[in-house]
Amino acid sequence: MPQKKTTTRSQEYAESIVNTVREPLIVLDQELRVVTASRSFYEVFKVRPEDTVGQLIYNLGNKQWDIPRLRELLETILPEKATFDDYEVEHDFTTIGRRTMLLNARRIPNPPEKLKVILLAIEDITMRKSKEKQYLKLAAIVNTSVDGIIGKDLEGDIISWNKAAERIYGYTEQEIHGKNISLLAPPGYEEEIRSQLKKLRNGELIENYETKRVRKDGVVIDISLSLSPIKDKAGNICGASAIMHDITEQKKAKQVLIVSEYSESIINTVREPLIVLDQDLRVVTVSRSFYEVFKVKPVETVGQLIYDLGNKQWDIPKLRELLETILPQKATFDNYEVEHHFTTIGRRVMLLNARQIERGMGKERIILLAIEDITERKEIEAGLEKTRIELAVIKKTADEASEFAESVINTVREPLISLDQDLRVVTVSRSFYEVFKVKPEETVGQLIYDLGNKQWDIPKLRELLETILPQKTTFDNYEVEHDFATIGRRIMLLNARQIQRGMGKERIILLAIEDITERKEIENGLEKAHEELKELAAELERAARVKSEFLANMSHELRTPLNSINGFSEVLYDETFGPLNEKQKKYVNNVLTSGKHLLLLINQILDMAKVEAGKMKLALSSLPMKSLLNEISLLVADMVSKKKIEMVLKIAEDLPNIEADELKVKEILYNLLSNAVKFTPAGGQIGMQANTTDSEIVIVVWDTGVGIAPENMEKIFEGFFRVDTPYSRVTEGTGLGLPLSKKLVELHGGKFSVESAGLNKGTSIRFTLPVISGGGGVR
Amino acid sequence: MKKKALVIDDNGNNLELEKDLLEVAGFEVFEAENAASGIAIARKEKPDIIIMDVRLSDMRGTEAARILRQDKETRDIPIVFVTASVMVEGREELSKITNSGFIGKPINTRTFANEVSQYIK
Repeated sequence: MPQKKTTTRSQEYAESIVNTVREPLIVLDQELRVVTASRSFYEVFKVRPEDTVGQLIYNLGNKQWDIPRLRELLETILPEKATFDDYEVEHDFTTIGRRTMLLNARRIPNPPEKLKVILLAIEDITMRKSKEKQYLKLAAIVNTSVDGIIGKDLEGDIISWNKAAERIYGYTEQEIHGKNISLLAPPGYEEEIRSQLKKLRNGELIENYETKRVRKDGVVIDISLSLSPIKDKAGNICGASAIMHDITEQKKAKQVLIVSEYSESIINTVREPLIVLDQDLRVVTVSRSFYEVFKVKPVETVGQLIYDLGNKQWDIPKLRELLETILPQKATFDNYEVEHHFTTIGRRVMLLNARQIERGMGKERIILLAIEDITERKEIEAGLEKTRIELAVIKKTADEASEFAESVINTVREPLISLDQDLRVVTVSRSFYEVFKVKPEETVGQLIYDLGNKQWDIPKLRELLETILPQKTTFDNYEVEHDFATIGRRIMLLNARQIQRGMGKERIILLAIEDITERKEIENGLEKAHEELKELAAELERAARVKSEFLANMSHELRTPLNSINGFSEVLYDETFGPLNEKQKKYVNNVLTSGKHLLLLINQILDMAKVEAGKMKLALSSLPMKSLLNEISLLVADMVSKKKIEMVLKIAEDLPNIEADELKVKEILYNLLSNAVKFTPAGGQIGMQANTTDSEIVIVVWDTGVGIAPENMEKIFEGFFRVDTPYSRVTEGTGLGLPLSKKLVELHGGKFSVESAGLNKGTSIRFTLPVISGGGGVR
Repeated sequence: MKKKALVIDDNGNNLELEKDLLEVAGFEVFEAENAASGIAIARKEKPDIIIMDVRLSDMRGTEAARILRQDKETRDIPIVFVTASVMVEGREELSKITNSGFIGKPINTRTFANEVSQYIK
């Protein structure tokens, strides 16, 4: 037993060692079965102790350990050598994927129980291996990079230097290693390098910074530089990396590009045909006027050999000689006359001027060739009689045509001006003189821009005439705003047509000018007025809302005390808490009557406000009008008989049901009937008639009472107007019944009118209600 | 046993009028001049009905009603709003309160107690 106890203890000790090491460890017996495994083994290989201990190592975790290499190690090498170190095994494990494991094994001498015990330590070095690979890859990238990559410490001492850096600066790595980066600074750039180092120490990045550096041979170069700090494992900045490339060539190219853009724009503003050729006599670019004069298109021109242009019409022996023989020797030739029959434009005499320029527009050698058509000039110079006669004939036809044109021009109302190809005025319409207050003698033959003290020198007009028109031959409705000396700031609407005349020699521009200043002003004025109206409408709407909110509040505030007045007087009048004497009872009834009148007034004011604010909603239902009219008449029957007047009803039998708001219709009828009673003296008559048309019913409420004086007809709808009459007591009405009734009728989509033959001649109120209410509560 | 009514109105005159009318009709009446004390009385006395103005000094009657509806002690007490406000918008707000009614001001003293009683189940 003591023996056993010692064994157990030593095993416990071994197990505790096994469990304290961080690496997976496994102890095998002589049959290669697991005696014990460390905690980390279970964790790393995701297996459980109960599936592990006692198992053959190869069977562990679904036989994922059955690795040929491991078999070899355990079964062949170990029995002979008693130990093996650092065997790398790469294997696809079921639970943890492809891994590289480093195996170390020991056969323990003097095993306590079994004959042979093997201690197997397994280290997962997958990550370490992949890091090593990454490092090698990175090193390869650095050395093959076309960008210079430099490593330096915080003092600027160079610690690494790749091949590209060597190419850029001329220093080898051995030469520069340990030297300070300031070695690369051209004079005046030392401070820049110091401040860069300072920034890097603060952890700042510097990206795509363009600067200058000096090469080993002393040449200053342009470089683009990106700098970033390098941190050690603890996150402290310990150095910096610099990536750079030489942009000297790139900068030069950029300058050339700018220059070439500039020269192209010059070429295009010159009115003479100009052509730029490269050293192989191929077209690099041509001016706009070249296209116009020779009637060729850009697509068939640029890149072509000059001789091939426009169906080889430029294959002129003299030109060949000039370009191929004279120019290479002299670099320039001036005023060479070339006569040639061009396919597109006929026999012409051209004056050629050429310059050969070294290095321009990205080419080694370019030729600038200016071509001037001097055919006409030559013809005139030659003074040929025949030509002169011909010219006279042409001129005559031209005169006739121009007479016709002039008559057209003069008949149009808009100012019209015709210009020749040099933008000189050929003729203008009469209205032009009138509108622009200029005289014919100071107009014809002038450059358009010079007219009337150069007041027509308008940038927009220049653009239109010189840029747009040559391309489009027409422009429509261009608005030009300009301060004219004679007529002030005006907005003109310009329309132009370019007309070719004769054999393509002449170009006439017809320019129509319309003064739309006033039209624009009206348009602007309209827009402004529209805006103002909108603002006003919004303001009115706001005011209406404020008003109706005010009325709602007012109504609430008035009702609260009225509740006490009416309530307490009613309780008193009812003698709920004890009897009153006759006088007290009469007085308290007066209070109650006045209170009720006040309430009616408040209700009607509120209703008026609601209608006006568009907030009065109709609760529509189908109303049996015949019975409704009779019902209302019964409500006033008592008053009628008390006052000893007669009521006459004429209600049509076929009166249809109508769609309307029952309470409101009753209110209208009650208002009108009670008014009729109120304003009719004893012995008089009141009445109600009702008829129907197809779409509406017509109701007339009439009386033989006090009537309305013609001068008061308007006032009765203003509210609070009361006809002065000995028959009515002041407290009986509110003066709002009639206007409110009118509004309620109109809200239903009906019409409301009052007639009276005059004072004391009775009143007749006629109103209609549609069978289907179109009003529907909408204002 | 007398029915209990709670009247909440910040206008003392109206409070007194409504109280008198309900007492004459045989109610035991409790009064409150603001919503907070009204709610406290409602929790304590558990009245059969609450008569409440809509515009109160400390909160709106509808807010007070929501508080009463959240408390299980007062959740089921019917509420009759007595209000001088006659705008449609205000009434829609009231109709959202469950188990409630509406009487406009000025009240009809002859029918008031009877109208109120209609709301007691």
